[in-house]
Amino acid sequence: MSVAEAEAREVQFEAPAGLWRDAWHRLRHNPSAMVGFALIGLFVFVAVFAPVIAPEDPRTGDLSRLEGSCCPGPSAEHWFGIDQQGRDEFSRVVYGARYSLLIGVVSVAVGLSIGLVLGAIAGYFGGVADSVLMRLMDIMLSIPGLLLAIGIVAMLGPGITQIMVAVGVTQIPIFARLMRGSVLAARENDYVTAARAVGVSKPAILGSHILPNAMSPVIVQATLALATAIIDVAGLGFLGLGPQDPATPEWGTMLTDTTRYLQTAPHLALIPGIAIVISVLGFNLVGDGLREALDPKFRGRA
Amino acid sequence: MLRFVIRRLLLLVPILLGLSILVFAWIRALPGGPAEALLGERLTPESRQQIEEQYGLDDPVFVQYWRYLKTTVVDRDLGTSINTRRPVSEELKERFPATIELAVAAMLFAMVLGVPLGYVAAKRYGGPVDQASLVVSLLGVSMPIFFLAILLKYIFAIQLGLLPTVGRISVLIDIEHPTNFYVLDAIIAGDPEALWDVIKHLILPAIALGSIPLAIVARITRAATLDVQNEDYVRTARAKGLPPRIVDTRHIFRNALLPIATIIGLQTGLLLSGAVLTETVFAWPGMGTWLVEAIDNRNYPVLQGGILFVSLVFVLVNLLVDLSYALINPRIRVS
Repeated sequence: MSVAEAEAREVQFEAPAGLWRDAWHRLRHNPSAMVGFALIGLFVFVAVFAPVIAPEDPRTGDLSRLEGSCCPGPSAEHWFGIDQQGRDEFSRVVYGARYSLLIGVVSVAVGLSIGLVLGAIAGYFGGVADSVLMRLMDIMLSIPGLLLAIGIVAMLGPGITQIMVAVGVTQIPIFARLMRGSVLAARENDYVTAARAVGVSKPAILGSHILPNAMSPVIVQATLALATAIIDVAGLGFLGLGPQDPATPEWGTMLTDTTRYLQTAPHLALIPGIAIVISVLGFNLVGDGLREALDPKFRGRA
Repeated sequence: MLRFVIRRLLLLVPILLGLSILVFAWIRALPGGPAEALLGERLTPESRQQIEEQYGLDDPVFVQYWRYLKTTVVDRDLGTSINTRRPVSEELKERFPATIELAVAAMLFAMVLGVPLGYVAAKRYGGPVDQASLVVSLLGVSMPIFFLAILLKYIFAIQLGLLPTVGRISVLIDIEHPTNFYVLDAIIAGDPEALWDVIKHLILPAIALGSIPLAIVARITRAATLDVQNEDYVRTARAKGLPPRIVDTRHIFRNALLPIATIIGLQTGLLLSGAVLTETVFAWPGMGTWLVEAIDNRNYPVLQGGILFVSLVFVLVNLLVDLSYALINPRIRVS
């Protein structure tokens, strides 16, 4: 093995590990990012172990618990009180974590994958493909996200899959723009020119040289997009465009009717709302932390 | 300058035309139609046919589109709402000012609080105000607007009983509504009691709707001020002995305003999204609740007229923002 070859291998193996180890090192010393990780951890833990944590079935209630008026507040037996259908609010909030996490992750995955493909095509091939795709993205960006999602759900009808699609579609243009920018920047690097010079095919260059190096802003954006997705999903649920079955313990849907009971049973509105804020806050904190940790401008400062 | 404005205005024509086709196609793609929404279970084939004939929905789609285009442009008629049987333009005249009044109040709240907060945060970088501004912007983007609205309603309206919970004005107050901007109407009527009542109704929805813009305005002002502070011309101005107050206002603040103007333009869309949720919580009779109801009822004329009108305003606001750059910053020449 020649010296140059050995060096090339070293660079290949060291560089990515170095970037991430470095980023992790800086993240660990960022208290707000650590709080964010803890909040996300709690959220994911509750979502995964919901059947173990929740004492009751979130869908079936016992109307006899309502004692004439709506609705008994927190007690030793029911930590978060009883909702207007006689269901245990704690169990509903716990199961709700599953819906928010699942819908959030799937919709961001939809937006991210489509957006990345479109952005990579636009950035790498340029020309007509670039102009057409990016003008399309501009049009989509000019429609406010929630309104676009409302429009899509109205067209597709209510349901969890439809919400995932709707929220995912609103995320496409952000990822497409981001990816296009990253690809344009990465394309000019010497290692890309070198790869092209030795005759590596275009898709292979895109896949093995450009994409890996353009990933860090995408990861940051995906974390922040999860926060937006959770808010948008809850917003759709709140407007009555949530899951088809209104008994579904989705946090936004749970908030819909509660304004009517605000005087007698404020816990019905406060508890799911706080659950949304905690999970969104977690993703925002981690996203901001990641941005600082991965941004070369901040490197070596921690 | 004038040529720029004229060109941008001309460009509106193809944009609006394209939008009208898009909106038209989207509306026809909604499952079900006005007949199903109006009659539900009681729908019979005859009643459906009758309703479709009445609104011309039995014609081919492109005939419908052409008729819609002709009545809108030539007769300046947006049609009749299927549910209320009132002219769409008349409802628009009530709904639109309601949302604008709310949005302007929200933006005022965001600017009056956000700009000084961001500016002071940057001037006292790392200090307590700076920390506070970071917390405010983080909470602003992490709090769903409808949850904040519910919280405000719970604390200030229900617990403290200080402010009203729904609507734009108390039922007992009777004033004329020549403009449908209730604040203006109360001033025109010269009725201080009505004015105070209208403002009290505005406070909570405006804070809820203004929370996200507040977070963004504070963050951008802070970042812009930090940037400008380190510019060479600021150092030069200081070095030649200008009083700090003059450097702060003329050199730093004025240049920091530029990104803030951009952000305000970009907020228009966000305000519209937020208005749907805020209006729902506070039963505010604006565009947001109007259009969402119209989707539910498949109220085609309201959707066609309403969405197109909103888009027109949206594009015009963006034009105004572009023009305001030139006013704030003479270095930018519009060409």
